[in-house]
Amino acid sequence: MFWRQPRDRSLWHMILAPTIWALHFVLVYGVTAVLCAKWDAADLARLTIFASTAVALTLIVAVGRGAWRQWDYLDGWDDIHDRPTDNHRRRFLGHVGFLLSLVSTIGVIYVTLPAVFVETCR
Amino acid sequence: MRAGLACLALVPALAACEGRQSVLDPAGRDAAVMAELFWWMLGGAVILWLLVNGLMVYVSRLNRDALSVRAATLLVVGGGIVFPTVLLAVLLSYGLSEMPRQLAPGTGLSVRVTGELWWWRMEYLPEGAETPVISANELRLPAGSRSELRLGANEVIHSFWVPALGGKTDMIPGRETRMSLEPLEPGEYRGQCAEFCGDSHALMAFGAVVMEPEAFREWLEHEATDAAPPATEAARAGRAVFLAEGCGSCHTVRGTPADGTIGPDLTHLAGRTTLAAGVLPMTADALKRWIADPRAIKPGARMPGFDHLGDARLDLLAAYLEGLE
Ligand code: HEC
Ligand SMILES: [Cu+2]
Repeated sequence: MFWRQPRDRSLWHMILAPTIWALHFVLVYGVTAVLCAKWDAADLARLTIFASTAVALTLIVAVGRGAWRQWDYLDGWDDIHDRPTDNHRRRFLGHVGFLLSLVSTIGVIYVTLPAVFVETCR
Repeated sequence: MRAGLACLALVPALAACEGRQSVLDPAGRDAAVMAELFWWMLGGAVILWLLVNGLMVYVSRLNRDALSVRAATLLVVGGGIVFPTVLLAVLLSYGLSEMPRQLAPGTGLSVRVTGELWWWRMEYLPEGAETPVISANELRLPAGSRSELRLGANEVIHSFWVPALGGKTDMIPGRETRMSLEPLEPGEYRGQCAEFCGDSHALMAFGAVVMEPEAFREWLEHEATDAAPPATEAARAGRAVFLAEGCGSCHTVRGTPADGTIGPDLTHLAGRTTLAAGVLPMTADALKRWIADPRAIKPGARMPGFDHLGDARLDLLAAYLEGLE
């Protein structure tokens, strides 16, 4: 499976966080549309949204931690990784993966915010 | 005052910001919130603009030396990531926290508004009423309470918008959308269709009148009554022309044999502030012009012209319609 692939070569680790964000997005919009259209079940929809947000954020934090280690920023406090070597490629991919985790965290929170304020299906 | 200044500075060529159809001159709670948000956004945008351009002047004119890596990183992370994320979250939260109120159920009156080509069907349902009071082309609401609007459309999509009172909501055939409005200041405002809907889209407007609750109650009671019988000789003759020419196959005048529903209800036409969905004044002259050739005034209008009637009979028709208070 992809998580077994070596981190200096696999792009999977890099795009994992945005993928979780995308799945969360689709799930939240799909489930809300169905629950609201069929049963006007706003409470259940909000509950589903909050639960899937908790899961998504946990996963993204885990992915982000992995990426942070892979980037290995604290080793020298630098983000210079522009050589065509395995080490630099690994750190570069980690750096990108970490930043994408940050963006995905913000994205997931923004997608959830409406459910915090809007309590009905209207 | 604030609105006036911004007008001077920003849009001298456009219509004044003060007026019957201005987002910047709110007369209702919902519109006030949006106007306030607009001023905050504008202020913020001006500050941001000054900051960004100030920075540009600084690095290109005042201090051309390279920034330290530390300062540059701080600028990018702080100004490029943290600042916009927090700012957008605050704005989004404020906007979202305001949304439920603007969709809140009304506390009494509800009005069903249907977008037609190119006019508005209005049906008033006071609290507890079973049958609606039917009217057209003018929205009247009581001040100080939240009224519910149930929006629909025939044939094509329209959008309901009274800028002085609140936001806009699409009107979709086969579906009921809803919104609510809480007007605060009695007065005369103007609504406008805000979704392109064909030839006369731009001429699909309406008067919006906010009244003291007591006056509104009286108005609605009157609106529910049958049409006043013609009071003058000319008006009586005008009614005969109206019925003979078949106006009644499209228009309803309650209390007469005219019961068509293709066009606007004319029972209390003369009580409206405008004619033909906000495009003409309610005068005898405008009535004559409209009846003689509606399409000269509203391209594509779904009412045939009656210019063959000649001036004398158009005068009689106008006299009759003017009496429909
Ligand atoms: C084929 C249907 C039809 C016939 C017949 C017809 N009308 Fe109309 N009339 C309409 C429609 C549709 C409108 C709305 C047009 C618009 O605003 O785009 C309208 C609008 C009007 C209005 C403006 C209403 C308002 O709320 O401001 C008046 C007044 C009017 N008609 C009078 C007449 C008179 C008088 C006759 C007969 C001489 C007549 N109509 C015959 C369809 C018709
Ligand atoms: Cu329209």
